[in-house]
Amino acid sequence: MRLLKKAPLFLILLISGIFFFLTAVLGRNTVYAQIPLEPEKQPVLSVVFRGLKEGIHPLQVFDSERMCDEVQKEEVSESAEVKQEETVEGMPEQAKIPVLNGESQQKPIVDKEAVTKVEEEEIQAAVIPTAEPVPYSIKNIRTEPLRESTREEYLNHISADIYGDTGVLRAAEYAFEPVTENYFDDALFIGDSRTVGLRDYTDLSDHAYFLCETSLTIQKVFTREFKGKGTLEEVLAAGDFGKIYLMLGINELGLGTTEDYVASYTAVIDRIHELEPEALIFIQANMHVAEEKSKTDKIFNNQNIEARNRAIATLSDNIQVFYIDVNEAVSDENGYLKDEYTYDKIHLLGRYNDIWKQFLLTKGVKTKSE
Amino acid sequence: MISFTDLNFLFRFLPGLLLIYYMVPLHLRDVVLLLGSLVFYAVGEPVLVALLLVLTVVNFLCAKGGKGLSITAVLINVAVLAAFKGFGFISENAFLPLGLSFYLFKMISFQIDVTRGQIEERITFRKTALYFTLFPQVISGPIMRYGQGDFGYAKRFDLEQIGDGLSYMVMGLSMKVLLADRLAILWNDLQMIGYISISTPLAWLGMLGYSLQLYFDFWGYSLMAAGILMLFGYEFVENFRHPYGAVSVSDFYRRWHMTLGAFFRDYVYIPMGGSRCGKLRTVINLAVVWLITGIWHGSGIHFLVWGGVLGVLIMAEKLCYGKLLTKVPVLGHLYVWFVIPLTWMLFAIPGKEAVLEYLGRLFPFAGAGGVAVNTGDILLYGSRYGLLMLVGLILCIPAVFRAIDKRKRNPLVVLLLAGLFWMSVYMTANTAGNPFMYFDF
Repeated sequence: MRLLKKAPLFLILLISGIFFFLTAVLGRNTVYAQIPLEPEKQPVLSVVFRGLKEGIHPLQVFDSERMCDEVQKEEVSESAEVKQEETVEGMPEQAKIPVLNGESQQKPIVDKEAVTKVEEEEIQAAVIPTAEPVPYSIKNIRTEPLRESTREEYLNHISADIYGDTGVLRAAEYAFEPVTENYFDDALFIGDSRTVGLRDYTDLSDHAYFLCETSLTIQKVFTREFKGKGTLEEVLAAGDFGKIYLMLGINELGLGTTEDYVASYTAVIDRIHELEPEALIFIQANMHVAEEKSKTDKIFNNQNIEARNRAIATLSDNIQVFYIDVNEAVSDENGYLKDEYTYDKIHLLGRYNDIWKQFLLTKGVKTKSE
Repeated sequence: MISFTDLNFLFRFLPGLLLIYYMVPLHLRDVVLLLGSLVFYAVGEPVLVALLLVLTVVNFLCAKGGKGLSITAVLINVAVLAAFKGFGFISENAFLPLGLSFYLFKMISFQIDVTRGQIEERITFRKTALYFTLFPQVISGPIMRYGQGDFGYAKRFDLEQIGDGLSYMVMGLSMKVLLADRLAILWNDLQMIGYISISTPLAWLGMLGYSLQLYFDFWGYSLMAAGILMLFGYEFVENFRHPYGAVSVSDFYRRWHMTLGAFFRDYVYIPMGGSRCGKLRTVINLAVVWLITGIWHGSGIHFLVWGGVLGVLIMAEKLCYGKLLTKVPVLGHLYVWFVIPLTWMLFAIPGKEAVLEYLGRLFPFAGAGGVAVNTGDILLYGSRYGLLMLVGLILCIPAVFRAIDKRKRNPLVVLLLAGLFWMSVYMTANTAGNPFMYFDF
C-alpha cells in the first residue's frame, strides 16, 4: 500500500513488466516461436512487443494450447492463398527485409536452421498464386536460369546473378520510339516510394494513374489495399489500361533468393496479363543506389539490384512485355545513382524525377491504334 | 545500451544497477554508482574511456593541489576540447569522444568552483570521479554543478523520490520516442525531396516540425537524465524551463539547455565583465559567448553562423527592443515563435546554398523560386504529422506540463504515463532503437 501511495507508477510498471516478461517466457515456444530473439542482444520481453506488431496479443499466450492446435491445423489444411496473406503480413521481424539500417543485417540469427526453415516456407507461400495456368506466349521464350542460387548466397542475402545478361540483351534489341506525354493517358504505374517520387514531382500524374506506396513489394502488390483506390485487381477491373509500368524489388532485396523474386514477378505479370490482356507491360529495372550506399550496405547494393534486374529482364518478350532500365539515365558510368541526384542515396531528389519521366518518353511502344 | 531509450538499458542495466545500489550498505553506494557509470561509458567508448579516466585523475590531483594547479587543469581541459574541436574543423575524419564536451565542462566548472571556494567540503577521489562520470549525464549532460550533487550526503532509499524520478524518466522517454523520433522522419523526408521542391506551406510545416523535434529530443533526453539520477537519490536537475513560452530570444536561451547557458554565464560572460562595463564591452562579451556556443555545438561553419545570429539578436534585444517585448508579451511570444524556428534552420542546414534554398521556399517572394514543386504536398504531410505537431504544440504551453507535473501521482496521470511507457517500448522494440527503421523504400 505504501508503494501504491508513494510511487504508483513504479508499482504499475513493476507489475506490468513482470507480466510482459512472464508472457514472453511462457510464449517463447508457442505464440512467439516465430519471433526471432537474441537474448544476449535484447531483453526477452521485447518479443511481446514485436509480436504485438505482428498481431499476436499477449493474452494469446495463456491460451497457447489452443493456439498450437490451430497452428497445426493451419499447416495441414490452409490454402496457399490464405497462407500467403498470413505469412507476408505476419512475417517475423528478422525474416522481413531490413531497411536502411545496416546494423540489422549483420545480426547473426540465433537458430539459423529454424529461422531459415520459416523463411523458406514463407517465401514459397509468398509467391502470388494464379487461379489457373495462363496461356501466354511469353512463357515459351522465358529463359531458364543458368544456375541456382547457393545456400550461402541465400543466407547472406546475396541476390545471385543466375540469369546472366541474356534477358537484358534481348530486351535491348527492341527499338523503342519517342512518344509525347499523351502516350501515358492510358498508363498505370505500380511501384514503391521511388514511384511515389515520380508521381509527386513530375506532371506524369496528370496523364497516368498511379498505384504506388512506400514499402510496396512484388509479393504484396496484389494483396495491398491502396488508400482510397482499392486493390490492384479492383483497379485493373475498373480501368482500361493500355500500358502498365512496374518498378518493384528494392524492398524485398534482402528477402529470399533471386528465384523467389523472379517467381513472384512472373506470377504478377501473368496475373496482370490475365486481367488486362491487351495492355503492354513495362518491367522497369530497379533504380540503383548511390556509391556510398552501394559500397557500405550488404543488402541494398547495386550488385544485388542488378542481379535481380537481370532476372526480371528475362520476362520480357519484346511483343507485349518490355524491359526498360532507367539507370541509363540516372546512373554514372560505374552504375551508381549519381550523387547529385539524391540526398539519401536511394531516392531521386524531387526535381530529378523529371529525368526519369524524360527517359520514359523515349521508351514508347507504338501499337496499331497509336 | 548507452542510449536511455535502448531496451537493454531500460530493462537490464538500469534495474540491475539500481538493485545493487540499494542493496549494498550506504557507504558503498557511491562506489557502485561510480563503477556502474564507468561500465556504461566503456560500453559506448571502450578505448577512450581511458581519456575520461586520465582526465578524472588529473583534475582530481590538480583540485587538491591548490589554485595554481586548478588553473592549469582548466587550461588542460580547454586544450583537450580545443584540440578535438579544432581537428573537426580541418579534417573530415575527426571524431569526438563520447560526451567529451559535457564531461570537460563539468571538469572546468569543478576547478573554477574549487578556486572560488564554492566547494566547501573535503574533496575525495570517489566523489570527484563520481561527479565527472555519473552515467545519466556523461553522454549529453545536463552539466550539473558539483554543488548540486550533494555528494557529501548518503543517498537513502526514498520511495517518493524514486516514484517521481520514474515519472520524469517516462515523460522524457515518451517525448523522445513518440514525438521527437517521429517528427525526425518529416525532416528527413524534406531532405530526400530536396528543399527546392517543397511547397511554401510544407516549408513552414517542416520548420515547425524541426523546431519541435529538436526540443522534444533534447528536453526528453534531459528529463530522462534528471529522472534517472533521481532514482539514485539525487535532486532533479533542471535543463529546460518551457523555452517556447519565452518572450524574447534572450529569455528563450535562459530556458533552453539551462545548464549550458548558466555555464557560459558564470564562467565566461560574468568574469569578462558581463553587462557591467559599458555597452561596447557588453557587445564584445556577448559576441564571445555566442561564438563559443556556436563552436561548442559542432564543427560546421553553420553552427558559427547560428551562434553569431543569436548573439546579434540578443544584443539587439539588450540595446533596442528587449523591453518592448517583455512589456507586450503577445508581441514577445509571436517574435519568439517567428525568430527561433528560423534560427533553427541555420542550425539544421549546412551549406549556404541549401539555407538560401530553404529560405527561398519559406519566403517565395524573396527567393529564386522552386523547381518541380508539388503544391499538394502539404495535404499529405499535414495529415501525416498534424496530430503529432498538435500534441507537441500543446506540450509547449508551460501551464500544461506544470499541470501534469503537479499531478504525477493522480491515478489518471499514472495510467497515462504507464501507457506511454509501454507504447515507447513497443516503438523501440520494433525499430531496434533507430527511428529511421520506419522508412521503407
